[in-house]
Formats: sequence, structure tokens, C-alpha cells
Amino acid sequence: MVDIYLVGVGGQGIITASRIIGEAALFAGKNVLLSETHGMAQRGGSVVCTARIGDVYSPLIPDGRADIILSFELLEALRALCMASKSTRVVTSSERIVPLAISTKKLNYPSLDEIRSQAARSAKDFIAVDAPRLAASAGVPMSSNVVMIGALAGVGVAGLERAHFEKAVEATIPRKVSENLHAFSLGFDAAKNAPANV
Amino acid sequence: MERILEAAPGTRVLLLGNEAIARAALEAGVAVATTYPGTPASEIGDALARVAKDAGIYFEYSTNEMVATEVAIGAATSGVRALVSMKHVGLNVAADALMTFAYTGTRGGFVLVTADDPSCHSSQNEQDNRYFALLGGIPLLEPSSPQECYDMTKEAFELSEKLELPVIVRTTTRVSHVRGAVTVGEVKPGPKKNEFVKDPKRFVTVPAVAKERHLVLLQRLVEADKLASRSALNKVFRLGRSRRKGIITSSAAFNYVMDAAKALELSVDVLKLGFSHPLPSTLVSDFLKGHDMVVVVEELEPILETSVRALAQHDGIPSRILGKADGLFPRAHELNQRLVSSGLTRAFKASGGSLRKAAEEHDELPLRPPVLCAGCPHSATYFAVNKATNRKAIFASDIGCYTLGLEPPYSAADLLVCMGSSVGTAGGLAKVNDQPVIAFIGDSTFFHAGIPGLINAVHHRHKFLLMILDNRTTAMTGHQPHPGSDRGVPGTEVTAVEIEDVVRGCGVKWLRVVDPYDIKLTTDTVKEALKQEGVSVIVARRECALIAGRDDTGAIIRKHYIDQELCKKCRTCVDKFQCPAISSIDKVQAIDDALCAGCGVCAQVCPHDAIKEAK
Repeated sequence: MVDIYLVGVGGQGIITASRIIGEAALFAGKNVLLSETHGMAQRGGSVVCTARIGDVYSPLIPDGRADIILSFELLEALRALCMASKSTRVVTSSERIVPLAISTKKLNYPSLDEIRSQAARSAKDFIAVDAPRLAASAGVPMSSNVVMIGALAGVGVAGLERAHFEKAVEATIPRKVSENLHAFSLGFDAAKNAPANV
Repeated sequence: MERILEAAPGTRVLLLGNEAIARAALEAGVAVATTYPGTPASEIGDALARVAKDAGIYFEYSTNEMVATEVAIGAATSGVRALVSMKHVGLNVAADALMTFAYTGTRGGFVLVTADDPSCHSSQNEQDNRYFALLGGIPLLEPSSPQECYDMTKEAFELSEKLELPVIVRTTTRVSHVRGAVTVGEVKPGPKKNEFVKDPKRFVTVPAVAKERHLVLLQRLVEADKLASRSALNKVFRLGRSRRKGIITSSAAFNYVMDAAKALELSVDVLKLGFSHPLPSTLVSDFLKGHDMVVVVEELEPILETSVRALAQHDGIPSRILGKADGLFPRAHELNQRLVSSGLTRAFKASGGSLRKAAEEHDELPLRPPVLCAGCPHSATYFAVNKATNRKAIFASDIGCYTLGLEPPYSAADLLVCMGSSVGTAGGLAKVNDQPVIAFIGDSTFFHAGIPGLINAVHHRHKFLLMILDNRTTAMTGHQPHPGSDRGVPGTEVTAVEIEDVVRGCGVKWLRVVDPYDIKLTTDTVKEALKQEGVSVIVARRECALIAGRDDTGAIIRKHYIDQELCKKCRTCVDKFQCPAISSIDKVQAIDDALCAGCGVCAQVCPHDAIKEAK
């Protein structure tokens, strides 16, 4: 069993990312269940998807039992730490999308260091990837989500190989295939070579 | 490729529960499919809309769920297969048709999918629509997974024709919006045309006919009970060795039961009811007789629990039955593995494996609720209305994206119960309040359920302002067309029904159309409208920013920026207007170029002319 908890902000392509994981699992001959957020919650709000790879009935991950938290936004990574245990790996995009509450209620957006130290207390490790920059350098600025799938593959999902993910990217996003595979590989290398934090 | 249509027989494809239902309907040879979009049901219709032309079926986004059901009834009573899908509250609208259709029964297979929403993820309530099956005497199937969505939808068509009754397939958010591997079969086109055979003694439900047909329905339910008792959709899972303890469950609850039972290492037999109404009495009775203790696990209302207890009492079975009545499981909100695990632990005195609730140490983090998008015309409308009324008005709201205006700074929703309720409730509010009353309703919602309310208001001379927020689409559920759209689903031709024509046809004398991006015009028009006697109507028309901003429209986005030298830090753009593209960090207000939709409303909002269009 591998439980992946995906979080971010509505509009970041998180459902597409979870579908890529699902397709990769099928290519690897595994069972998989994904749960998705649709509808009202998508209007710029916090979004949660889950991917459970292996033989399981419920699509929801019990609290504190995520093996990997894959976050598309920094603040959401922090919010997701409630799903973490000391064996959880946190992989996040360093993108910040400032929620309206920060402006209207005059709050602070936590710094990367604060988030890092929170993660140190709750999780096994913490890897931040500059997904928007890598996506742009691959020529597909809208594909931060593909970069993050690359990062997920880079830290490794038991039973799924890099080729399964690449095939899944191609199957899920039929446009700009070579650019998206490039975005994937940039994310893969960034996560694989990331310093072991925490 | 549209895999819903083209996936080869025998292959395993990754499908959403809703997509699995659509695929099954195509394989079952459905001829007519209808819907009114609503989360969590929307993707059933959306999937069929994309393939209807190639599949050679008729699909429509109907004006509301009742019309959708009636169109499907017209087709099914003619002998072809029909599917109608909706969210749970949609069935309240469709119930009038469905309750009597159970009396006439059907000729072609008729399947109604209701997608319930425990925990109100995107709904105004969490009603349990299994009660509609009980209320109407309608067979009920409850899938737990995408594969079962597929299997049970196919079976539902067969059952419907066998029993000559409509069949309800009831999902929940955690079934409809779960994606998993589904092994599909062959798409077999069914007959698309037939001839309606007249039989008024069956199909025209005047009292004399209805009385007789009720008896027929009750007879069919006896047959349905027998079919349910031997249905392959109801099965027993034997876990561990002991055979004295049992669980009866259905739908999403089954999934939590299986995962919890495994984690707790329970020795237990699990009776999963996929065909749950009428209650398969022989099967359940035998299961009860075989187990000393039976726990019933279901989401929301204790419907199975109550009927299982009644059956045990009737059949004189002494087994101990436990469930919600014993406080093991909550009656509100969706279940999860932790809640089910805790209930089963208490019932079976199991130990270990209990799951902790998430630490709430991060509760102080800035929340990120859904908000109106950058460039949303509703934001502009609400800003103008607050300006025109000085916030001294009562706002009757309705169902759609614009309900998100309830939060500050707009506070533009004071009362909301259901689709179309803004118009009706505004009449009552205006009768007993001295403050001005303004009703907000979206274009799709106006067509869905706003029109009878408007006729009522005109006729009875209610005094309020109705603002129809016309963004040219059904935005919240994924931009489906509605009767005002000039384009329908591919392969169909439609006639756009003009909102102004409808409003005038309802007898409204004072009607204006404004572009909400024009703040001054909108503000002045609202002020003028509030001086009118009777009902005044303003159509605030501007296309949804998510559609207008799509790359393929070729529209030029006029990005804006805040000139920091002119900015007086008055915070009007943050405190009185609200746009996700405008932030205020460390006392500096700025516009995020990537998010700006170019609507230019903020430039009108700024009292110091500090917001400029980028060159």
C-alpha cells in the first residue's frame, strides 16, 4: 500500500495530477483508488485529492497515515501536515498563492523556514521544488503539476517505475508531449537531487 | 479519444464513478439521457454530452430535474431505454413526476441516478435519498465503487424492464467522485426509436387508474423483494474464522467497514447490500438467524437499521442488532474509516488499531475557502449593489457561484434555501420588512426554478428588485449550457430563450440590462430600480471570467497594475472589493499579473485613480 495525499489550490491541475498517478498505477499492474474534489470547492479554495495504490476499499486516507504528501502550494503543504507521521515524505512546490485572508485579515504568509521546521517536527523529510520555474523552462508554464508528478517519481513510489509515470503523463495529457516529459524530468531530477532536509 | 465511448471491451480503464455510469448506460443501449447539472452528479451528463453525437444517442441538459425526468419518462414509456441523472436535491424537484411514474411503470428500462452529498461538500443539505425509494416504492441500487457504478447501472436497466418499474441508482460523493479501474464491456447501441402504444388505463393517472396502479406497484415490490434476495449485487464477505458476528452495510460505508475490519482483524461476516430496497427479506432474515450479533453500518439515516430491526421483530429472530440507535455511528455527515473503526471496536469489544483524529495544531493557519474568481462579474455586481444601497437592504440569494458573495466584504446573501428560492422568499421578505429587498439569481437557476416565483410576484404586486446575474452559463457545475445558450451539446441544434423575453412575458414592466463591469451604470440602475413600485428586474450580463479568459477565445486581457506612487494605502481595493489577484502584504497592495483577468473593475473601485491599465 502507498497512500498519497495531494493538496493545493483549485485551478492548479491537481485532479489531472491524481489521474496521472492512477494511470501510472494501472500501467504498473496495481490497483488504485483516487478521490477527487469537484464543484464549489474548486473556486480558488483548498483542494484535496487522494491516491491509494494497492488493495484497499476506501478511497480516503485515515488521518496521519499518508505515506507521501504531494503539495502544489506551500501553505497547503503546511496545512496537510495533519496527515503526516514520522514516516511521511513531504514533496511540495515552492509556489505561493496568497489566500485572500492574508490580505483582508492582515495575517502573515508563513516563511519557507517556518514551514520547513514544522515539517521537521511532523514528517520524515521535506523536499521543495520550484515547479513554476521548471515548468516554464520546459516551455509549458501551465504544467507545474507535471513537474510535481516528476518530483513524486523522483522521491519514488514503491512498485511504480519512472517509465510508468512517463507513459501516464503521455496518456493523460496528449498535447505538448515532449515538453511535458521534459517538465517531468526536471521535477524528477530536482526531487532526486534535493538535499535531505529535516 | 473519448474513452467513455471508445474503450475496448474487456479492458481495464481508469474511470470516475460518474463516468462508469455513463459508460454502462451506453453499453446498455440507452436511447435518451437527460440531466440538470449538479455536484456530485455532473460528470455523468458531461461525459454523455461529449459522446452523444458519436454514440447516436439523444442527450440534453434539461431546464430542471423535473423536466429531465419527464423527458426520460416520455422516451421510456415508448419502449426505449432512458437515463436521468441529478444531485440529491434535484430529486426533490423531480419527485412529483417520479412518485406517480412508479404507479404507471415503464416499458423501456428507466434508470434515475441520484448523487447524494453526505457532509454537504457542495450542497445546501445532506438529505438521504434512499428515502425516495421507500416513499415511491422504487427499487434501489447502491454502488460502492466505480466498478460497481458500472455493474449496477447495467443491471438497473435489466431490472427496470423485468419489473416494469423505474430503478434508482444512488451514489454519494465518495462513490461518484472516486476514480478507479473499471473493466468495461461492449457498447451495444439499442433501439433509438419506437412507437408509443396507447394504454390510458395504465398511463393516464386519473384517480380510478391511480388506485389500481398502486396495487400493481405493491405486487411488483413483492417480486422485487424476491429478486433482491437472490441478486448477485447482495453478497456476503467472510472475514476470519468465527461465524457468529455479522455486519450489514451498503454504499460507501461498506468500504470503510472492509478496511476497518481488516485493520482490527475482526472475525466477522459482512453482508453487503447493493440491491437494498425493497429489503431482501429472505436473505437478511437468514443472515440474522445465522449470527448472534449484527451491526448495521450506513451513512446518514438509519434506514437499513430500522428495516432490519423490523424484520427481526417480525420473524421472531433474537439476534442482537446494533447501530445508530446505540450511538455507535453518527447520523450526520459522512463516515470514514476512523468513525467506522471506532463503532466496530465498541460493538465487538475489539482492541487495538484505533485511528487517531488529525491533530488540529494547524487550525490557526489562514483559511482558503472557495472565492469568486478574478474578473468575476458577480464581484462587480455586489460591489455596485453595496454602493447603491449603502448596505441597507435584505439580500435573498440563490444557488450558484454567486452564493459565495455571502462573505464580507459583500455580505450579499441573507437567506437561501433552494434553487429558485430567491424570488419566492423575496416576496415574503418584502411583505413584512421595511428595508428594500433584493433577490439575486443566476441565469441557469432563473430558468430552472425562478420563473413561477416571478409570475407570482408580479401578480401579487410584491415589491422587490430581482437581479438576474447572467454570466451566460451554468458556471458552478462546470459551464454547462442552459436554455439561454445559443449552442447546445455537439450534434444538436437549439433555440436560445432570451431572458428579457421571459421577464417581460411574466408581466414585468420595469426591466434594465447592465454590464456589471460598468460600476457607475450598475450602481445608478440599482438606485433607480429600488424607487419602482412592484417588481423591478435588472439583468446584469457579462460572460463568466473563466470562459472569457480561455486561451482559445482570442480575447485580449487588459492587465492592470497599482501605481505605488498614487496609491494612498486606503485598502478600498482589498476591504470593499475582493479580487484574488489583488493582495495586501506588508501594507503594500499589488495586483498579481498572472491572476489578473483584465476586467478593469478595480480601476473604478479605487478612489485615488491609482490602478492603471498596463501598456
